[in-house]
Amino acid sequence: MTLGIIAIGAAIAALCGAGAALGMGNATGKAVEAIARQPEAAGKINSSLMFGLIMMETCAVYALLVGILIVFILGGKAA
Amino acid sequence: MLEVSLTPTPCYVFGVNVGLSVVTAWCILALLLITLVVINIFVVRRMKPIPTGAQNVVELMVDGVHRWAEGKIGHAADFVAPVVMTLMAYVFCNTVIELFGLPPSTDDINCTFAMGLCTFITVNVTGLKFRGGIRGRIQGLCTPSVIVMPIRILTDFIAPCSIAIRLFANVMVGGIIMQLIYMVVPIILPAAIASYFNILHVGIQTFVLGLLTLVYVSEAIE
Repeated sequence: MTLGIIAIGAAIAALCGAGAALGMGNATGKAVEAIARQPEAAGKINSSLMFGLIMMETCAVYALLVGILIVFILGGKAA
Repeated sequence: MLEVSLTPTPCYVFGVNVGLSVVTAWCILALLLITLVVINIFVVRRMKPIPTGAQNVVELMVDGVHRWAEGKIGHAADFVAPVVMTLMAYVFCNTVIELFGLPPSTDDINCTFAMGLCTFITVNVTGLKFRGGIRGRIQGLCTPSVIVMPIRILTDFIAPCSIAIRLFANVMVGGIIMQLIYMVVPIILPAAIASYFNILHVGIQTFVLGLLTLVYVSEAIE
């Protein structure tokens, strides 16, 4: 019972990946549009895009860390 | 069974528990130092106007990082680029040893938090240096208006934590996924996937650390 609830908690933490994926897709799509419109600004667009992607990736990594901590630390204690 | 722990693996040096990651980092530092001394003796002291062989590689790395930093932070690159290069070399060497079956020392949150602190100190020293002392730095912190100052100070303090947790989580998760793959398919497949997690992924994390340091510095000096 407790293990089941812990697993549900980890699954909810992993939902953060959906948000990060939406953000990444949106940002990359917009960057591609911008490069298509103005190919000479590709370098600047790319570096801004990279910074934004890193920030979104951080969000996803935090969720991953929380999920892993829930599964291994809490799950290890409950089992 | 899978083993995951947040506390560093204990390792005793002269009866003091310093943790395995610290001992690994010491060995890596010694190796890096020896490499640098060798490069200094055999390459840097025999610099030629037209580079050949190893001089090409050394110039490519140093000049590459310097030019990259210059594109982000302008004239402050002379001051920051060596620090960024050092941080990147340290993190890369400490993480890539996983390829040789050794425990990576960035798998320990103490190590990555030290990296975050280095970034924090670099950012603040550069900010103080290039904005003209404490007054300029505080002025820079409340640039649009005074209301945003607490938020900007908070951002400055969160930055090292963010760097530390990102690097730690990425390396740890890479290790966990590799362990899972070893449990499912013990032959052939791990070799292919290890080349991603232990080389490409390490390169990306190193690049991200350097990029974040440069971006925070550019925010501090503008």
